[in-house]
Amino acid sequence: MSEPTLFEKSAAGRCAIALPELDVPGSALPDELLRDDLALPELSQLDLVRHYQRLSERSFGVDSGFYPLGSCTMKYNPRIGEALARLPGFTDAHPLQSIESVQGPLEIMFRLQSWLAEIGGFARVSLQPAAGAQGEFTALLMMRAWQRDRGEGHRTQILIPDSAHGTNPASTSMAGLSVLEIPSDSRGNISLDALRAACDETVVGLMITNPNTLGLFEQQIEEVIELVHRCGGLVYGDGANMNALAGVLRPGDLGIDLMHYNLHKTFSTPHGGGGPGSGPLAVSDELRDYLPAPVVERVVDEEHGDVETRYRLESPSKSIGRMCSFHGNFGMIVRAYAYIALHGIAGLRENSMHAVLNANYLRVMLRDNYPVPFDRTNMHEFVCRGDVGSEGVSATDVCKRLIDYGFHPPTSHFPLVVPHALMIEPTETESLETLDGFVAAMLEIEREARDAPEHLRAAPHTAPVKRLDEVRAARQPILRSRVQS
Amino acid sequence: MTNVELPQCGSVNRRIGFLINPIAGIGGRVGLKGSDGVVDLALARGATPTAGKRAAAMLRAFRAGLRDHPLRPDCCWITCAGAMGEAVLLDAGFEKIEVVYRPTGTSDASDTRRAVRAFLSAGVDLVVFCGGDGTARDVCAETGRATPILGVPAGVKMYSGVFGVSPARTAEILLGYLDGRFELADADLLDVDEEAFRAGRLEVELYDSARTPHEPRLVQSAKQVIEDQDAGSAKAQIAEHIAEQFEARPETLFLLGPGSTVASIADRNGFAKSLLGVDAVVAGRLVGVDLRESELLELTDTHPDAQLIVSPIGAQGFVLGRGNQQLSATVVRRIGRTGVVVVATPAKLDQTPVIRFDTGDPALDAELAGDGFFPVVTGYHARRLVEVRV
Repeated sequence: MSEPTLFEKSAAGRCAIALPELDVPGSALPDELLRDDLALPELSQLDLVRHYQRLSERSFGVDSGFYPLGSCTMKYNPRIGEALARLPGFTDAHPLQSIESVQGPLEIMFRLQSWLAEIGGFARVSLQPAAGAQGEFTALLMMRAWQRDRGEGHRTQILIPDSAHGTNPASTSMAGLSVLEIPSDSRGNISLDALRAACDETVVGLMITNPNTLGLFEQQIEEVIELVHRCGGLVYGDGANMNALAGVLRPGDLGIDLMHYNLHKTFSTPHGGGGPGSGPLAVSDELRDYLPAPVVERVVDEEHGDVETRYRLESPSKSIGRMCSFHGNFGMIVRAYAYIALHGIAGLRENSMHAVLNANYLRVMLRDNYPVPFDRTNMHEFVCRGDVGSEGVSATDVCKRLIDYGFHPPTSHFPLVVPHALMIEPTETESLETLDGFVAAMLEIEREARDAPEHLRAAPHTAPVKRLDEVRAARQPILRSRVQS
Repeated sequence: MTNVELPQCGSVNRRIGFLINPIAGIGGRVGLKGSDGVVDLALARGATPTAGKRAAAMLRAFRAGLRDHPLRPDCCWITCAGAMGEAVLLDAGFEKIEVVYRPTGTSDASDTRRAVRAFLSAGVDLVVFCGGDGTARDVCAETGRATPILGVPAGVKMYSGVFGVSPARTAEILLGYLDGRFELADADLLDVDEEAFRAGRLEVELYDSARTPHEPRLVQSAKQVIEDQDAGSAKAQIAEHIAEQFEARPETLFLLGPGSTVASIADRNGFAKSLLGVDAVVAGRLVGVDLRESELLELTDTHPDAQLIVSPIGAQGFVLGRGNQQLSATVVRRIGRTGVVVVATPAKLDQTPVIRFDTGDPALDAELAGDGFFPVVTGYHARRLVEVRV
């Protein structure tokens, strides 16, 4: 059942709030501001409340059900983060206040910078990037600046494995560089032969997601990094999949030069509605002076030792400049800080292990019915095929049917190296009962794909909006709704 | 009674030409790898015609789709008498049928071409045929790119990009075409030299380019070349990338090979390219059309800095040595490996895991293969390393 718009529900003369009588002299609006044709909806308060209540009930998030959207790490967001981010000391602070009056927020930022550097094995961190892709873009600008300073500004190629995140090529284009895509080998790792053929004096660097989008750990990562370094390139790690590694492995120790984190994935800041994201960038000692300005630094008072510890904003000496007008999405910084403080490094490690365990459990439970092209121990997510049962059943059909069973569909048709890919990431916060419920639904859907493929192709059957014609939606989009007069 | 024959079809309906090649696929099950010139042998080996059944399956699915369709699209059929169309249409319950061609005796390739010619003079919006690559070529020889075509897969080999993945999926494409959901896309017409194929050699050639209604999920993916939804945008990006090269290198001779991807580069630069020939461009201006080897050699004599822009044949991956033999080993040697620019849309590469060079000169082929990978331009400043199979 579709919910009409407020305009469609409007009835002349209704009003949600009775305004109190004027207790000051009235004054007419200027004539030029008056309109006769102002088509505003007229509704009672109850109509309004029900309208928004109904719409809110149709929303789906981690708080309403299992959300195994691969590569997005849709895990539970602990309420303590919400409570802390709402403290008046944080919500009332303004970035243009004097430095002395915002020492608390600066201390939170400084600690988070230090913690993120430590967790990833890097030297320095900028909290500015407002999303993962902006973290990538920041990194590319830094890589170019570093190479220009070495007299190697002629380099233009960014190497990107075909199992990388889709934002990597986009960030590369934004930075004015060219993409050279490197194929995967038969085990789902980046092909070393191809990488060797690609590494030359035109290479700015490699962007690598590890674990990759197949959920697989790059088994020759050290050799990969060595090959790129040897030709004068830098290695950028896309940290979007850090939920498999946090507390277990430090990418900086492997030789990765720069990496962004997704606070909204690994460090559990909420992002169901598309944001806000936060993509802090961590870099090695070699690149620390190129970070965006400003970063938070601790000042040790010379006279009083470290008794009078204070925080200030500093511009790194060779900084590429600002990436946003102030300090990134501060509310996310507080939540991520709370999350790390809550778990400690041992807790992060345990979370990573459970995320990997849950994903492997699902892979093994589903692989007989949903073929897994790279069937080896995976990390925090895995990729299986959704074209099961009968000819013509697609990954889309499986996804749409999952909605009827109360589950958010996994990421589909990505990565591109697997046709009809279903990319499933359960995260560590789901119980065994939830995982088993999902498995049962998936197996039932596979049975339907064999016995009643037409039923699958028409799914979802229980959602307020049935199967959309996605081709027509793309070709003939209707982008505005007009008031019927 | 008068002699006036009332037309079966009103002008409001789409007019679909429909023909079945009754002998299509007949050689397949009896191990003849095709049906060209071997019909009698196939029948002797016990083959039974299957094309009619495939056509009937498509028509059943189509009729069911029409019945359930909210917009109630409709069409009328312009077809051939008997087993080449009318009988199967009547069996499937269709009524709006105009017979415009009557075959005489046993059916052969000339019947297909004569039938399509009759369709075109009767006026059709689309030709639906039931057959394989050979039938597709015969149909396209008459329609060219002016009238779109759509194949019900019923041959031994369906390498061309104009077939649905199955009869039922072909029916869905036809419905999508009728209700306006699916646009027309370019598709390469490929065929195999059946004599060579029977002798164990796979020689696929690009013959032509057709227009066909397209929806990416429903077209055959294996050994198939067809555009995905973003193909237009991918080709435009490739064209933009090459156009930038034209500007940056006004002295350079650019040789443009066959195929629709390369043709889009010509479109972007405002000149018409011969679809199946090799053309030459200097400073963004066309200086030679459909050139022979000797002409190419003359041009490379006067322009020592030359770049060759070529696209692989989808699925099979041949960049040189198929459908572009005028780009001989001598020509390619003058251009050198760094001058060879291979272009392909990501969708085409997804179905083309390796590329091949077959210039007839093994030493040159090995040189082109380099260390086993070749960068293929897939978009604006975007390339993909693709394995070269020697």
